[in-house]
Amino acid sequence: MTLIRQLWFWCALLAITLVVALLSGSVSVPLTDAFNVNAPHFEIIWQLRWPRALNAMMVGSALAVAGLLIQNLVKNPLADPYLLGISGGAATVQLLIIVLAVGLSPTSLFFSGFIGSLLATGLLFKLSFQGQLRPDKITLNGVVLAFGFAAIISFVLATASGQQIKSMMFWLMGDLSFAEPNVLMPIIMTGLLLLLYRHHRALDILARGNLFAIKSGVDAHRINLMVFVITALLTSMAVAQAGTIGFVGLIIPHLVRLMCGYQHRHLIPMCVLVGATFLLAADTLARTVMSPLQLPVGIFTALIGVPVFLWLNRKV
Amino acid sequence: MLKVENLSLYQEQTQVLCGLDVAFKPGEFWAIIGANGVGKSTLLQTLAGIHPEYQGQISIDGHHLQSLDPLSRARRIGFLMQEQEASLAFSVREAVGMGRYPWRTDKNQDQTISTAALEWCQITHLAERSILKLSGGERRKVEIATCLAQQSRYLLLDEPLNHLDLVYRHHILKEFKTLSQTHAVVMVCHDLEAVRTHCSHVLMLFGNDCYLSGTSATILTAENKQRLFNESSREP
Repeated sequence: MTLIRQLWFWCALLAITLVVALLSGSVSVPLTDAFNVNAPHFEIIWQLRWPRALNAMMVGSALAVAGLLIQNLVKNPLADPYLLGISGGAATVQLLIIVLAVGLSPTSLFFSGFIGSLLATGLLFKLSFQGQLRPDKITLNGVVLAFGFAAIISFVLATASGQQIKSMMFWLMGDLSFAEPNVLMPIIMTGLLLLLYRHHRALDILARGNLFAIKSGVDAHRINLMVFVITALLTSMAVAQAGTIGFVGLIIPHLVRLMCGYQHRHLIPMCVLVGATFLLAADTLARTVMSPLQLPVGIFTALIGVPVFLWLNRKV
Repeated sequence: MLKVENLSLYQEQTQVLCGLDVAFKPGEFWAIIGANGVGKSTLLQTLAGIHPEYQGQISIDGHHLQSLDPLSRARRIGFLMQEQEASLAFSVREAVGMGRYPWRTDKNQDQTISTAALEWCQITHLAERSILKLSGGERRKVEIATCLAQQSRYLLLDEPLNHLDLVYRHHILKEFKTLSQTHAVVMVCHDLEAVRTHCSHVLMLFGNDCYLSGTSATILTAENKQRLFNESSREP
């Protein structure tokens, strides 16, 4: 029953955060305006803030679940979704697009990021596959690939002009303001999450080791493959949508484990809720604290996350 | 019947077993004995489906091992690994419940069977503890209980007595013997005295194609024990 209570608590917290996010910003808006088509701020709420809030929630959920999966796959608590080289791949392609100024529309950036991340994941997959997916190889290959991409990114930054650098830096630190509402992402995410939830028991067993999973009747090879693909898709969408937002994918899964144990039956829905709430709150702060100046959201994910995590971890 | 015909196994490209023929039937309590590195664990792991590559035939109740999907294999074969990998802090009850995975039975039934397995291993009092906060012996009991919760007819136990105290060893051996009236129990064991008192059959491995199998009485002769000792102490 405690799980049900926790889920309700986080649903409520998410709802409250959402209301605050919609009403606050460079202009504060009264709640009544949200339901009155003729109110002066109706459009600000529904055309600017609502899509952005939706993005924040989706990206937060996607990163938290991807982090949960990758930590389970490579059995390393320090793993985060960017370990798959996804952010590096996406950033490299997107920065090249910015430099070449092929087209700066959010849609073209989304797709270039998505393609870049899939290329990077494909490369990592190829390197870590020997008859079957080798989770132990993913960690090192991923870290090394990430360094390679970082070098390319630094090179691009070092040679770019001043104006370009500003937009690139913002993107590299994570930025939710750029993205347009995206219908595809919630649909794909829901599908992936449902598929994942069906295998929650297998994921629990895999957490105890691949050999243990095989002997317990889990088709470890297939599930590992599924986890890899789902992680790649979730992270690619998040990165394409909002750039590299650090910390969420690394810390939220740990936070959730501290709150509700180790069974994926609980972990998956909780990661969705906590990830969404967390990133929405961080993004709201990022755009209100020094408004009208907007700060990179990555600053606030860490500023809120670090003390909360340390406080929770103190009790264990 | 778990039947092995002309089985050859490799470990890192070196042959460890060659031309092994043996059959484990419910009602028998087998011990596998032999020197370190002779292929005892590799054999059990292969039978449990962990090493998909082998030469020869392995069949379970008439089905080829390779033709069984992981779930139906796990319903037939339970395997106690020699060392359990480190993992997350699941509770003992959750860990033992993982043994129910192949069956897809309803929650209440799973609960009843897990509880029975906890009692069988005398660890009911540990049920809510984290598996990371147990002693080596207690963790071993949790692993044994997980295997039992799996309710498979063939139980492969890789050195089940590791980390267990003397009193508990005696208890668990007696329980395995009782279990072997309806199940096939196969255990790797280095304690010849325990094997002699409890096991009905013995598979003695000397390396490569040299092995002996049969009832305990026919295999555990002074001569064979001497041979085992000589092979074990020989420089590789």
